[in-house]
Amino acid sequence: MPRIIIDNRQIECREGIPVLQAALEAGLDVPHYCYHPSLSVVASCRLCLMQMKMPHPKTQEMVWSPKLVPSCQTPVRDGMEVRFKSEAVAKNQKACMEFFLLNHPLDCPVCDQAGECYLQDYSYHFGDAESRMVDQKLVNPKKDIGPGTLLYQDRCVMCTRCVRFIGEISGTHELCMVHRGSRTEIDVFPGLPLDNPLQGNVVDVCPVGSMLDKDFLFKRRVWELSGTPSICPGCATGCSIRIDHADNRVCRLKPRFNPKVNDRWMCDEGRFGFKYIHEANRIASPIVRRGLEQTTPSWEQLPEIVRFRFQEHVRRNGAEKVVAVLSPFMTCEEGWLLIRFIRTIAPEAALVMGPVPLEGEDQYFPVGATSKAVKFTILAEKCPNRRGIEMLLKAAGGTTLTFGEFVEQSGKGEFSSAWVVGGYAKPWIDKATAKIAANIELLVVQDIFESGLVAGAAIVLPARAWVEREGSFVNTAGLVQPFERAIAPPDGGRYDGQYLFEIAGYEGLFSAGRVREMMAESISAFREIYEAPVLPAHTH
Amino acid sequence: MAWKTIDRISPAVDADAEPVLSKAVKAKIRSFFDRYETKRAALLPALHVVQDASGSISWQAMVEIAELLEIHPSDVIDTISFYTHFWTRPKGRKVITVCRSLTCEVMGGVAVLEELKRQLGIDEHETTPDGKYSLVTEECLAGCDHGPCLLVNEKLHKRVGPQDVARILADADNDRIAFERSDLFDAPRDKVVTGAAAQEDGAHRSTSKDQEKRRAD
Ligand code: SF4
Ligand code: SF4
Ligand code: FES
Ligand code: FES
Repeated sequence: MPRIIIDNRQIECREGIPVLQAALEAGLDVPHYCYHPSLSVVASCRLCLMQMKMPHPKTQEMVWSPKLVPSCQTPVRDGMEVRFKSEAVAKNQKACMEFFLLNHPLDCPVCDQAGECYLQDYSYHFGDAESRMVDQKLVNPKKDIGPGTLLYQDRCVMCTRCVRFIGEISGTHELCMVHRGSRTEIDVFPGLPLDNPLQGNVVDVCPVGSMLDKDFLFKRRVWELSGTPSICPGCATGCSIRIDHADNRVCRLKPRFNPKVNDRWMCDEGRFGFKYIHEANRIASPIVRRGLEQTTPSWEQLPEIVRFRFQEHVRRNGAEKVVAVLSPFMTCEEGWLLIRFIRTIAPEAALVMGPVPLEGEDQYFPVGATSKAVKFTILAEKCPNRRGIEMLLKAAGGTTLTFGEFVEQSGKGEFSSAWVVGGYAKPWIDKATAKIAANIELLVVQDIFESGLVAGAAIVLPARAWVEREGSFVNTAGLVQPFERAIAPPDGGRYDGQYLFEIAGYEGLFSAGRVREMMAESISAFREIYEAPVLPAHTH
Repeated sequence: MAWKTIDRISPAVDADAEPVLSKAVKAKIRSFFDRYETKRAALLPALHVVQDASGSISWQAMVEIAELLEIHPSDVIDTISFYTHFWTRPKGRKVITVCRSLTCEVMGGVAVLEELKRQLGIDEHETTPDGKYSLVTEECLAGCDHGPCLLVNEKLHKRVGPQDVARILADADNDRIAFERSDLFDAPRDKVVTGAAAQEDGAHRSTSKDQEKRRAD
């Protein structure tokens, strides 16, 4: 590993990275706009300039070069010495900041980016409080550049990150720079707007408030948000994300760096696909039905009722008449607890893999890229945990059925009691499937929305949205990725992990980590989990 | 929307519009492909050829160029807008470019510009109704020692005062100079006059002259 000296401090760094990256990884705050670790280097903003020791042309003695060099474009070399703490560097930073703000409207009070804006931060730390601009500022109109994004040109620092993202990652090329010099603008070809499955990322790469997410526009000040690390349930890719929430509502989703899965990106389907969780018609609390009678048990009573009803059925109809349908939207921990409960009560119970939603084709980016050149994938498999549930079913052994077989056999009255888990974001029970409710005496349905099956269930359990649960999903590549709970269920009641924990006979508070430890004793695949590394503070 | 915005979602070109690039122009653009590793690299020559053929490069032409070069139309407008040389709106047969840089301004360039505006009856970035002249300003024309300067198409006029404007406008030859040139970036012509031949008959055919002729034909 090369060793370099930055500001008199020796650091070890990775081979082949730019000095800027090494400095950031060492925890230094070096201002930069155009440099982005996942995009090509253009060294155009000039904010990251540093001083470097070079051999004097006459004496060959190592001296500080009078000329500044871009740290984002200078690869680390063993033994090199650079500095950011110098008068010349500070002077350049001040001058750059003055230029960036020359035509800036200074409208932070109405800017969505305020609070997470690198114009604000860098002005504060590296800029000057006053502008010497006496002439009238250039005023550019805002541009409606696409269905998801608005361009506020006056705030742009011309870093071209957005243009490079669209060229290098999505490969869709909608964005361009028009005009030249101080009049340069970001634009699209009229009629060919920014509209591709990854377009939301341009708002993330934009270091300032120039690219605006229409969905989030004017909704919240960012300092009101709390961020919780999570995993996107949108498809089997399993992108690392951050859930930004306030007042028990999710306000937006942002991608989180994950070198093994999604790098720094996420797709629009995942980004905006969470809206269903705030719909008013979600199943709110548990329901227990006996004949025409319908009650809402307390959370404390619930485990006892469920256990009692199942035991009663096994006694009357035999253990082979019991079945559990697991959903690819469940966490591994929930799946394990449910299997444990069912197989304890009825060791011969059949286990079923719920339907795996497939939509369209896998999409690879940049558009047209193959194999090695692929930088992002959206999968047709629109659920987060098929692999995890399959691992559990395999480990559990015994009778396993496909969902089709389950529906068919239920139609013939093969099962007297069934536990069916849904949790799908979209309706998943058709009329034919709903009919099986009539053939199952004790039907437990754990789902998020009403359906024909829910209507015919003896016990209804509210399945919670993934942001209200904790646990782990196994993505298509087999990574066991844990995620945290961001908000509470709408009614403030218990969530799936907790009530399944109690129903399975455990006491106290559910903790996904603790359940995973128990799982790992019998299933080795759960011994290793993958958590994406946290990026150094000043990278962006 | 809370703000007034420019609409970039509505198309600039009609999807059913007739193509504007002729077969000959397309063939000429294709002839550049061999010279470069990528088709994209032929963008500048393509723009020259199209502007020479039509006087300017319309949105429709940009879409067709993009198709030919297998790039996104946004890449075409990106390049076009970088260069003041390329026109996206129809321009006059002769473009008058007045220098707005320091030396010329000190020597009275503004008065020349005002006189031109008065006599042509148009403002900067406008074209006379008869399509003869367009008026623009530009930075230094490299004639600083003889300012104020202005350019009519390719001919530089030095030491121009307001009193010279009428004479320059009246001169039919105010826009051409004779020198050896290649027709590499010109639009395909029925009868190609090569550099040497043009030299011999002493009169170079400027782009706009050719257009005038073609229009007359
Ligand atoms: S819009 Fe944002 S990302 Fe794009 S060039 Fe401007 S500042 Fe950079
Ligand atoms: S690719 Fe899949 S996991 Fe990633 S953000 Fe999109 S839907 Fe979510
Ligand atoms: S020049 Fe280095 S980050 Fe922009
Ligand atoms: S300043 Fe006018 S030609 Fe140079």
